[in-house]
Amino acid sequence: MAAVTNPFTAGTWVMEPKPQNIWGVPHTSWFFAMGVGGALFINRALFGVELGRIMGMAVADLLSMILIGIGGLILIGDLGKPLRVLRALLNPRTSWISVGAIADFVFLILDGLWVIADLEWQGARPFAGLPWAGNSPLGIAFQVIAGAAAFIVIVYPGLVLAASPSIPFWNTTLIPLQFLSFAFASAVGLALIFALWLPVPPALLTTWAGAEILLLAATLLLFVAHLIQGSASHATAKVSVARLLKGELQVPFVWGTLIAGLLLPLLLGLYGAFAASPAPGWLAISALLTLPGNWLSKYTVIKAGSYAPFL
Amino acid sequence: MPRWGMVIDLARCVGCYACTIACKVENGTPPGVWYAPVYEREVGSYPTAKRLFLPTLCFHCKNPPCMKACPTKAISKREDGIVLVDSNKCCGSRACVAACPYGALTFVEEIKGEFGDELTPWERARYPQDGVGTVQKCTLCAHRIDQGNLEPACVQTCPTHCRIFGDLDDPGSEVSKLIREHNGTQARPEAGTDPSVFYLR
Repeated sequence: MAAVTNPFTAGTWVMEPKPQNIWGVPHTSWFFAMGVGGALFINRALFGVELGRIMGMAVADLLSMILIGIGGLILIGDLGKPLRVLRALLNPRTSWISVGAIADFVFLILDGLWVIADLEWQGARPFAGLPWAGNSPLGIAFQVIAGAAAFIVIVYPGLVLAASPSIPFWNTTLIPLQFLSFAFASAVGLALIFALWLPVPPALLTTWAGAEILLLAATLLLFVAHLIQGSASHATAKVSVARLLKGELQVPFVWGTLIAGLLLPLLLGLYGAFAASPAPGWLAISALLTLPGNWLSKYTVIKAGSYAPFL
Repeated sequence: MPRWGMVIDLARCVGCYACTIACKVENGTPPGVWYAPVYEREVGSYPTAKRLFLPTLCFHCKNPPCMKACPTKAISKREDGIVLVDSNKCCGSRACVAACPYGALTFVEEIKGEFGDELTPWERARYPQDGVGTVQKCTLCAHRIDQGNLEPACVQTCPTHCRIFGDLDDPGSEVSKLIREHNGTQARPEAGTDPSVFYLR
């Protein structure tokens, strides 16, 4: 028999890195909505970043519930068998999707109960008598548990990607950290946008702007670290980095995420925060840019994922 | 209890794709679903151009990342090491497809006939009509193995004896001897999956 070249000894890959094509726009939107939603709730509950009230209910909590609900609906709609969604709660021991699905449900239930207790209707608060209303111990417990669930909701999509040994560019803890910092940057950004219509004291606005600047800088550093790690760690991750920086994903990643979504908002934020007096308009524009930047960052990182050749 | 596995001798593969076709016939997989594909690559240039062939299948890992990633527990590992997907439990999240380092799982978006929209009688009988929206993968022909003495269809069909099937836990089995004698290698060992498929040479 004629000798066939042996890939083990010839050093030649029979396969080539293969871009993943199973996840795309729906997953990006799901990850984005859940991240921003979770961060809005934590910002309000832990740091007091309010977006105002509507019918007595905290807008931040309502918006958080709506965004996480939308994220959940996108997730369900993207399943091959949406009616089996409840089965996705069955494997929290090893599956991050399962952990996340449980956290989604816990958050939606507790946040929903918490928010409804503050409802004002025609001058009355019909649910004020509920045992978790106000600052009751049960109410505080609801918020603590919902906050923990919100935190999981923010990071689990990143952990789903990071847990994948097949796609080296994803296989790093930097991804959940990126998701975390960009989610909080976007949530603080929303507060800066809402501040245009709310009576936020200048000192508080400067504090929020400072937080936004720090979060954007941290996110930018995390992306740079991810690119450096990808370039240095695995040949297939290097291919992913090349696709992001020089390939078909260059425009949405370099221009959409790094420049328009992070660097420009950072500079605008610095100008808006540290000008002679805080400039809410510039801060709002800066914050507005982070939202598409956040979405594009997730889209490009997901699309850049390539399966490593195994032989 | 055996641990079923396979040795693939790359020096013997002639790229005839008989294994791929035998698998499709045996398992009735719809178009676009390949349990035992053979990857091919041409390297070099004339007069030293060569074609490389890489027969594959699900590697039935001892530590399967697909099973860990599955949120619905639709993927299970039998005592004999065969990893199976229960399409009645699969919700189609595709987490397993993303997790598998070997590209062994396929998400079935739709089932069409090979000869147009209308299925042939054979296709109607064999294609898993409820499989749309779920993930499918190689079963190592568990239904044949369970009958007693039958090998997977790809192994039985291979004309060059490139695919060899056997018990990896039995030091006297042909697969164990081949792995020992020819320094059998697993694909992407750094992924920590401990595949039950070994490549030779």
